[in-house]
Amino acid sequence: MNTFKLQIVAPDKIVYDGEATFLLVRTTMGDIGVQARHQKLISPLVIGKMKVEFADRDPRFAAIAGGFVKVGDNKVTVVTTACEWEDEIDLKRAEAAAEHARQMREHSSSKQEMDRAEVKLKRALNRINVAKH
Amino acid sequence: MGASMKDIKGRIKSVESTMQITKAMELVSSSKLRKAKERAENARPFFNILYETISDLSSELDGTETIYTAKPGKLPTLYIVIAGDRGLAGGYNANVYRLLSEQPDYKGAKVIAIGRKAVEKYAHNPDIEMIGEYPGLAENLKMPLVTEITNTALRLFKERKVGRVKLIFTQFVTALTQRATLLDILPLSQIKEKRTYSQAMNYEPGPGAVFASIIPQYVTGMIYGAVTESYASEQGARRTAMESATGNAEEMIKNLSLSYNRARQAAITQELTEIVSGANAAQ
Repeated sequence: MNTFKLQIVAPDKIVYDGEATFLLVRTTMGDIGVQARHQKLISPLVIGKMKVEFADRDPRFAAIAGGFVKVGDNKVTVVTTACEWEDEIDLKRAEAAAEHARQMREHSSSKQEMDRAEVKLKRALNRINVAKH
Repeated sequence: MGASMKDIKGRIKSVESTMQITKAMELVSSSKLRKAKERAENARPFFNILYETISDLSSELDGTETIYTAKPGKLPTLYIVIAGDRGLAGGYNANVYRLLSEQPDYKGAKVIAIGRKAVEKYAHNPDIEMIGEYPGLAENLKMPLVTEITNTALRLFKERKVGRVKLIFTQFVTALTQRATLLDILPLSQIKEKRTYSQAMNYEPGPGAVFASIIPQYVTGMIYGAVTESYASEQGARRTAMESATGNAEEMIKNLSLSYNRARQAAITQELTEIVSGANAAQ
């Protein structure tokens, strides 16, 4: 299978930089799959699951918290605000974060606070979802 | 001579206590530097790739897709200026001020000041208009505040109150070298010559929605990266400044001790001469 160059970056680290055969990300329009020589594309991402397939090992899953993907010239860049591979996710912490976010949502006084809690909850649930797989 | 000895002793004491302060500051910024450097180095790939990706993208635009390529015209420029929260960091803050004042569109510019020193410097400056003040942001970098700065900048840009958005920060080259840097954020610059592409960029769902989502992320990422770079630079600059201040103090103490010993020797010699000549006179 043909490979393409894939770069995944988060503000605090490079998550992945190398070759891949397939990428699945969740855009605002739904999941899209990218293979080698894909058409040029740019799209925002939402909180969701990401799947990367490699030529020489098992596919990996990750939880990502939004960002955008740019596809061009057989090079794919995923810029994300936060990204964790499924085996890096601390399930206990994610569950605690979800619980905390739920409480925050209950006790929020303004719409802004409510929205922020909602996003936190979505991220935590996404992480739990990916970790449990 | 005795009075002079006392003077010198006083000066040695004062230099010593200054040295204690500079030494302590050096140690503090050394340990802060280590952490700040790590943070800046971790943030750098994201910063670079984000900038490259956006530059790459903007080079393929023909200018019709989005308002973010709008020509600046005669509109003022918005500078997001990042300086330190404290002084005593060598030329760190001064270099940032100088870079801004060298800009041709400095007069009449709008400024968002990050860091207490930048706020103090530009709060009462008649040449510029202060838009936002964020003292103490770097030490306790919080995403909501960065987002707030982004929103302010983008609102001004969209309402055509400013034609350009530029970022002034200090690049952390090494612990010993820091460079005040100017970075163009908006508008997205387009290529001059028309390149031909085999295929057009596909915007999913559409250019408007894509840019509305990506540009805030881009600006936030750039500000976040610039703040971490600047903070590491500040610590590096302070450590270097304090190191040389401590060195200078040591040098001064050495010279003063020499003068002190000389003065003491002279006083002893003089006393001896007086005793001997007194004894001679008594005979």
